[in-house]
Amino acid sequence: MKKKLLLMFLIMITALSFTVACSNSDSSDTSNKLKVALILPGKKDDLSFNQSMYEGMMAYVKANPDKIDLKVTENVYEVSDIEPALLDFADQGYDVIIGHGFQFMEPLIKVAAQYPDTAFVLGTGYKFESNSVIYDVSLDRGGYQMGVIAALATQTDKIGVIGGADVSEIYRGHEGFKLGAKSINPNIQVQEVYTGDWNDTAGAKEAAIGMYDSGVDVIWHSGDGIGLGVIQAAKEKDKYVLGNVADQHDLAPNNVLSGVVYQWQAVLEGIFADIESGKINDLTDNERFYWITAENGGEVYSKINDPKGWLTSDDLTKVESSWSDLKSGKIDFSVIKEPTN
Amino acid sequence: MLSNIFTVSFFVSLLASTIRLATPILLPALGQIYTQRAGILNLSVEGTMTIGAVAGFAATYYSGSLWLGILMGMAFGMLYSLLMAVLSVTLRANQVIAGTALNILGIGLAVFFYRVIFGIQSLPPQVEPFQMLKIPFLSEIPVIGVILFQHNIIVYLSFVMVVITWFILEKTTFGLKIKAVGENPKAADSKGVNVSKYRYFAVLIGGIYAGAAGAFMSIAYLNIFTESIIGGRGFIAVAVVIFARFLPIRAMWGALLFGVASALQLRLQALGIDVANQLMLMLPYALTIIALVLASKKADFPSAYAIPYSRKER
Repeated sequence: MKKKLLLMFLIMITALSFTVACSNSDSSDTSNKLKVALILPGKKDDLSFNQSMYEGMMAYVKANPDKIDLKVTENVYEVSDIEPALLDFADQGYDVIIGHGFQFMEPLIKVAAQYPDTAFVLGTGYKFESNSVIYDVSLDRGGYQMGVIAALATQTDKIGVIGGADVSEIYRGHEGFKLGAKSINPNIQVQEVYTGDWNDTAGAKEAAIGMYDSGVDVIWHSGDGIGLGVIQAAKEKDKYVLGNVADQHDLAPNNVLSGVVYQWQAVLEGIFADIESGKINDLTDNERFYWITAENGGEVYSKINDPKGWLTSDDLTKVESSWSDLKSGKIDFSVIKEPTN
Repeated sequence: MLSNIFTVSFFVSLLASTIRLATPILLPALGQIYTQRAGILNLSVEGTMTIGAVAGFAATYYSGSLWLGILMGMAFGMLYSLLMAVLSVTLRANQVIAGTALNILGIGLAVFFYRVIFGIQSLPPQVEPFQMLKIPFLSEIPVIGVILFQHNIIVYLSFVMVVITWFILEKTTFGLKIKAVGENPKAADSKGVNVSKYRYFAVLIGGIYAGAAGAFMSIAYLNIFTESIIGGRGFIAVAVVIFARFLPIRAMWGALLFGVASALQLRLQALGIDVANQLMLMLPYALTIIALVLASKKADFPSAYAIPYSRKER
């Protein structure tokens, strides 16, 4: 019996060692550098939300090789794992701890209050402490541009949008998409599906097939793993898809029309400048939010790729002019209400 | 409004989607019918499927052969379920704990090997998946043709397996022995049936089906591998087996029921039915629970279900 128990434990432990984040230190020389911990809720190669931040951070470290000592931890997804991870890094004396995702918000402000000398950085959310800041994407801008492109390209006046869950930036993105589409054609039909999480690739593919079958010919997806499913559906049905986060043209060169691309580097510079100068403790509430937007170049759209020739040169001019309106902040987004929950 | 939604093309698209969504649940459920009939509750189906998905994907990626991918999915699914067989049959461990642990290990291993094999790439590796195979003549029939006869070959084979599984379990000595070791291992033993051997067979067959279903997800349904590619379908499959009272044909209906609920909720959301999307997302799972509650009252569990067998104990 004892043997059996021992074996069970061994298996459990092996299992855990595989699932619990594989971490790696990306620098060996630690003298006088800012010790930074980046905690990702998913994999750094997810081609999406996690990878965009991982690459943004790596680019920043590369540009400032003697300033930052970075440690990346992956796959801290469950809220119950987040608090211990944050406490662990704070205890180890890290100077900056970054929690990349909405689910980090509650544990992060709790731990931040206990470690006033450590700087905490939250990726998307709305709560903060005097030693924490937030970076976020104003996806309503990117979504608006996607809505404009979709509405101009569609041949059926039916377009669609598929997202993970209607929280925070995803919700704003979807509302922006509808706003942009209606600015081109007020009577356009916009189909919308939330798959409930960001990983259900197969479910998202099925949702996209359902939309394409009902006459939709351009879909924007606002998510990670689900995006891969939508792109595959577009390939099968030979319709258009608009990407999100990274340039996804190469996934389906005949079907990816364009997409929103995030450049987190646009705000990392500012965040680290404020942390190093100690200004972080004196920021006003509004200054604690670092938005990547169309205005500051944190959000761009990938080059239009239109093998079907659905966009006329007149349409392309409209796409560009809507982008320059977004960049100069001319478009009014106050009509978008925050979700009530 | 409603007449706009419920058109013929809506139903055709819905039912075709139902069949696609049912396949990755049906296949592992059929395998688990063997396993559970032999008295073993294997909760690591999800992990086994993930292993099958990565094995099938890697084999196809490097060899270019989709059939080799399915074969490797089956082989690795079997290999991985060997662990469960050792734990539950030879070591007589608690099956719930063993299955749960192996489930976590399986997903971890699959992701680990995927990272080792493919590294970090800026674009995910892709394969050219199984193409739609239109059955001549039959696929031309309006409505029915599109729903039933325009899928990839693995979908057809999965439904053929329903009959084969039923035949093996009900009409062969092998099937009888599998059922005997789950129903009354002592009596089977006294008649000269090697209980351990047949329980091993039952677990390994379950692993083969699960591995094939995993490979189906990565090289037939999708063309990529992701960590959560199985997305809970392994657990639904275990539930479907109980819902189906361990009968292959009822398992098919169970899988189709889950499929239609998933397909329906996605379409109703898209068309802007005024119900919160969170409620719609619950639909397939709520339906599964209701079906389980109704069915499990009557479910005839094998008498030695989840009970290890030892000759010494009386």
